[in-house]
Amino acid sequence: MDTNEVLKQVNDIFIDTLDNDEIKLNRDTTANDVENWDSLTHIQLVVAIERHFHIRFTSKEIQSWANVGEMVESISKKISP
Amino acid sequence: MINYIELLLNKISAKNQKHATKLRENLKHLSDDYFHLGNSFYEKYEKYLHSQKLTLDFGVECYLRMSEDMVEERIKFIQNGKYSNTSFAEVDKTVYSNPGVMTYHMHGLVLGQFLWFEQWERIKFFVDNLQHYFRNGRKYLEIGGGHGLYINEAMKLLPDTTQFDLVDISESSLTLARGILNTNRVNFHLKNIFDFTNDDEYDFVTIGEVLEHVEEPLRLLKQIRNHLSANGFCYLTTPINAPMIDHIYLFNDEQEIRNLLTEAGFEIVKEKIVISEKISSAKAVRYKVPVMYAAFIETIK
Repeated sequence: MDTNEVLKQVNDIFIDTLDNDEIKLNRDTTANDVENWDSLTHIQLVVAIERHFHIRFTSKEIQSWANVGEMVESISKKISP
Repeated sequence: MINYIELLLNKISAKNQKHATKLRENLKHLSDDYFHLGNSFYEKYEKYLHSQKLTLDFGVECYLRMSEDMVEERIKFIQNGKYSNTSFAEVDKTVYSNPGVMTYHMHGLVLGQFLWFEQWERIKFFVDNLQHYFRNGRKYLEIGGGHGLYINEAMKLLPDTTQFDLVDISESSLTLARGILNTNRVNFHLKNIFDFTNDDEYDFVTIGEVLEHVEEPLRLLKQIRNHLSANGFCYLTTPINAPMIDHIYLFNDEQEIRNLLTEAGFEIVKEKIVISEKISSAKAVRYKVPVMYAAFIETIK
């Protein structure tokens, strides 16, 4: 799966988890750009991503991403064969 | 008096601006009572820190370190649906009997008392109702007194002739409570409550945030009944969905707590439930957000 497809699927997870159809993520998007993406919902988003892609992150990874691009990179590395 | 709350928020903001902004937002509508009680407790805390050649910066470091633990525990909780620890022996070894961890954890909790609005609701509920339920009592017992805030307020509100006993399993915790309270009115007991035996019957027992630290909360509740006089009251608080490094018993909702109280032979006289985020109860359930449960209870007659 290429990173654009990962980004698209992550976008769908954000829409579903945050109940907001308007969300349009790009690689530079940060928590400040998305309504209701805060420390509370971040953990929910990450766990939803883990379930969707069948992967696991460490606590350190979860708290390290500065933007959506870094999150997508991290997912892509874990799902690449 | 120094506005310690503002001072602490500024210090936290310098290290973690986003966290401080959220705290500030949650605290901005609170009353003068909140600032008075919070600042007077933090003043005592700062005096204690100075006696140890420490400053408030130490407290802030501890608070931020504890907050990091909380994020990690929350991640594991959401991933697995349960607390990461389930054994008392394990937590006793890694936290209660480990001064390195227990020290920053306890100092972090001291700051949390007035930086988290749900903790303010918890102490306010206690302060507003203690005298009514203590009535003409003589003996007050606190189990798991932590940093001493509750017994400190009880000493202000109850008659000078009251006997105050405080039992705690952790030496670090008792040292902190002794240091902050700096009083000879309290008898401190370093004991596991299950090993605390005396012939006293208490007119009032406070047990704040302890049930979630034991494997068998029902057994603990029955132990409280043994210490409570026939017409005595107990103030109990415990959180729902609140992962911490030393929490082992998970309450999924308030009904589980109510059921346990009934099973232990207690009647709920008055209760208060506060969600730890400014969100609806539906959202709190959905995101498994910590909820504070507090109640005044008495033995079923």
